[in-house]
Amino acid sequence: MEERKASKRCGGALPFIIGFLAACVIGWAVIPGLFFENVEQPFRFSHSIHVEGQDMDCESCHYFRDDGSYAGFPTNEACAECHAVDPEEAMEAIAEAGIDPKDFDAIMKAEIGAIEDNLASESDEDKQAEREYVVKYLIQGEEVPWLNYQYQPDNVYFSHKAHEALNIEEMAEMKDELSSVVDPSVFDEPAEQNCNLCHLKDIDKNDTPPPFQRNILSGYSKMTMKMWKCERCHALKGQPNACYTCHK
Amino acid sequence: MSVARRAFIQMSVGATVGILFTPTVWTALDDVSIWTQNWPWIPTLKYGEVKGVPTVSKMCESGCAVKVRTVAGEAFGTEGNVENPLSGGGICPLCANGVQVKNSPTRIKSPMLNGKEISWDEARDVVSEKLAAAGSKVAVISGDQSGTVNEVFSALLADKGSDAFYSMPCDMQAADKAWTGLMGGSGQIGYDLENADMVLLAGADALESWGPTVANMKAFAANESGKFVFAGPMQTKTASVTSKWVPVPAEGMAAFTLGICYYVLQAGKSVPAADFDQFKAMVMSGYTPAKVEAATGVKADTLAEVAKMLLAASNPVVVPGGSVGANAAAFALNLLLGGGMKVLPEFGKAIETAMSRSDMLKQDILQGVNADLLFVYSANPVYALPEQVKAGFTVAFDFVNTETTAAADLVLPIPHPYERFDDLASPYGVAAATYSLGAPVSKATLNVMSAADFVLGLADLGFETFEEVLEAKVAAIGADMDELKEGAAYVLEETPDVSGVTLAANVLGKAAVPVKGTGALGLAPYTLLNVGTANQATTPNAPCTISNNQLVGDHMVVMMASVTAKKLGVSVGSKVKLSGGNGECTALVQVFEGVLPGVVAAPLGMGHSVGDEFSKGKGDNVYKILTVSSEAATGTSTWAGSTVNVAKI
Repeated sequence: MEERKASKRCGGALPFIIGFLAACVIGWAVIPGLFFENVEQPFRFSHSIHVEGQDMDCESCHYFRDDGSYAGFPTNEACAECHAVDPEEAMEAIAEAGIDPKDFDAIMKAEIGAIEDNLASESDEDKQAEREYVVKYLIQGEEVPWLNYQYQPDNVYFSHKAHEALNIEEMAEMKDELSSVVDPSVFDEPAEQNCNLCHLKDIDKNDTPPPFQRNILSGYSKMTMKMWKCERCHALKGQPNACYTCHK
Repeated sequence: MSVARRAFIQMSVGATVGILFTPTVWTALDDVSIWTQNWPWIPTLKYGEVKGVPTVSKMCESGCAVKVRTVAGEAFGTEGNVENPLSGGGICPLCANGVQVKNSPTRIKSPMLNGKEISWDEARDVVSEKLAAAGSKVAVISGDQSGTVNEVFSALLADKGSDAFYSMPCDMQAADKAWTGLMGGSGQIGYDLENADMVLLAGADALESWGPTVANMKAFAANESGKFVFAGPMQTKTASVTSKWVPVPAEGMAAFTLGICYYVLQAGKSVPAADFDQFKAMVMSGYTPAKVEAATGVKADTLAEVAKMLLAASNPVVVPGGSVGANAAAFALNLLLGGGMKVLPEFGKAIETAMSRSDMLKQDILQGVNADLLFVYSANPVYALPEQVKAGFTVAFDFVNTETTAAADLVLPIPHPYERFDDLASPYGVAAATYSLGAPVSKATLNVMSAADFVLGLADLGFETFEEVLEAKVAAIGADMDELKEGAAYVLEETPDVSGVTLAANVLGKAAVPVKGTGALGLAPYTLLNVGTANQATTPNAPCTISNNQLVGDHMVVMMASVTAKKLGVSVGSKVKLSGGNGECTALVQVFEGVLPGVVAAPLGMGHSVGDEFSKGKGDNVYKILTVSSEAATGTSTWAGSTVNVAKI
């Protein structure tokens, strides 16, 4: 009886509360970040140079099927329409220089004429990024393993065409309800197009792509929209949430 | 100690409860559930730019102009090519499955000498040695009716002093033998089905397997006011959509056509041919309605009705199928009617020493092939002509394993149509000379080589590669290479001089007399493209479209009228043995009143002993029971008039 009284005095609810609060703080502030690792894109790709500098649009490089569903990134064949380095010529020049074609750093440092003369960029920084693409991928015949921030698995059907009419200003009226789905800052100065609702904000003006945040369990991007987010928006917009709406 | 322990437990419980009030556990569970959906062995879609790349597909007899659907450069489907008049957006059942065949496990993966894998250099050495030893005893059998690859093979023959170029039996050959052989014409016959106001399909199953089937169907659909009549021993799919079906035995088609000529001549029609008077006298005496009825069973009233429809039309056309005699009779009738039969010029040659198309069609493969060295290109004579072909050494070029590649000494894998340069020059039946070109859509994944490239390496024919030959062909035609590569067809609106053409009166009178085999029943073999052709077995997605009238389980189905079945003592589902020629087939019986009494209708294209799971062991091979008979008057051989004996088993 004496011991039981002593324990009540020394413990009570305090340890429980401390544990509860500590777990809440860690669970909300620390652990979610541990689920993701930062992975850089294969090389620095500037959207702003291509969109603003070269007057290209999304469809120039991001392919869509007839129904508006996403079909993939451009291949080297498409990139080479502008980045006009002849792989055969470049490889011959590399061989002549006695450089191992897989020694990317050595090739870049050697400033091979067959490569350097055909780089389209102007600044040194941009040239280096372009050089990296040309040396590591284009002349090697390797497709660039781009990391897709919004990757959805094959069993999810998402049509850009079906969502292109979404008005970002109208959506702003649901800003609070959508706060867990869409970054609220998207609604501050609404862009003309509604891409920002799902994609990295103003990615078309981005000069250096942010790291791809890979979920260490699922392998998916942090920006991959989960089903409940799709459902939330559909529900708010009065759209069907039946399985077959997205799983064909 | 006990206090600290208790406090620790309390704190742990608090932490456990607390963590449940955070997203951590629920998010982790969600992520784990997603992780379980991402096993590495789960196939994933290929992503990339989706394109429709134009090319030509040579899997059907006529060839199709297609667009191959690709994603990131990899072919995944085939559709018609709206820009090309051969397709108009349509596609045949064989070519529709081009990608599935391209990816089929039955593709030939590397050169094989007597079952042993060899290199291309070794293959070239072997063939060079055989070629040198064979002298002029070299022959070629081609299953390609419209490709410039035939020029390469025929130029090789010319180089060796041989003219033994054989085409697999086809309607184009019978038409050519009739038009250029018997009637003294030049060029190739075509039929304007779209603009004709009356079309008599005299044995030509034009909406299913005859000629450029896809273009025919498009023309049929576009020709809303024209009347179509089908004549033949069986109410085919074509007959099912025409205005009228006239039951005519295959061997009686020439007589039937001359019977119509009787009425047309009676109506005063004439043609400025040197032998017109002789022709008229022959028809008016030898092919009177009564005589035609006696020979073919077609009543005089029916003949008169069809003739009346043709005479009333402003642009009629008669489209023949079958023997040389039947073709010649139809051409004579067309000349009398002056309607939609066209004469197409032949495109210029790429290789000076190559044969003309007409020369390539001269040899009669049904009379047999015997050579020291035989090249077989995209053809399956071992399946379709099991008794006719003999050779000291056979080299088979194909992209899939067939009965012929299995029997060949040397098998050389060629690229699939989507992996190679190829062309389609005026497939037989088109209304105007039409040229289409195909360039590789996807990279070859197997150890293959274009047959033409291989042959060009055997002799100096003036070209290094087939691509160069095609460039020369396009230049000879006067077409634009870039436009052709984009899928457009080059169409030449030109007509050769036909002033010297005769009506072959001296031959037709004898050739049109029906000659029948000795079997108890007439055999009406028919081709459905989804079942397969002589050279191409059915394709992976096609079997699900084959009806119970052709195949039940693994059993072929033959059709006959109820009166025929009754006479034989069989009924629906009875198992029967058909004996004809030197072969036998087994089949199940289906009763169909759309088959002429006394005739059994059997589908060609089944019963493969080599092939994939979709064709091997399915049904039986009707080519085994076809009877080759000589059409003595025309000096040609024909399968028309084949008969069989049918016994219940």
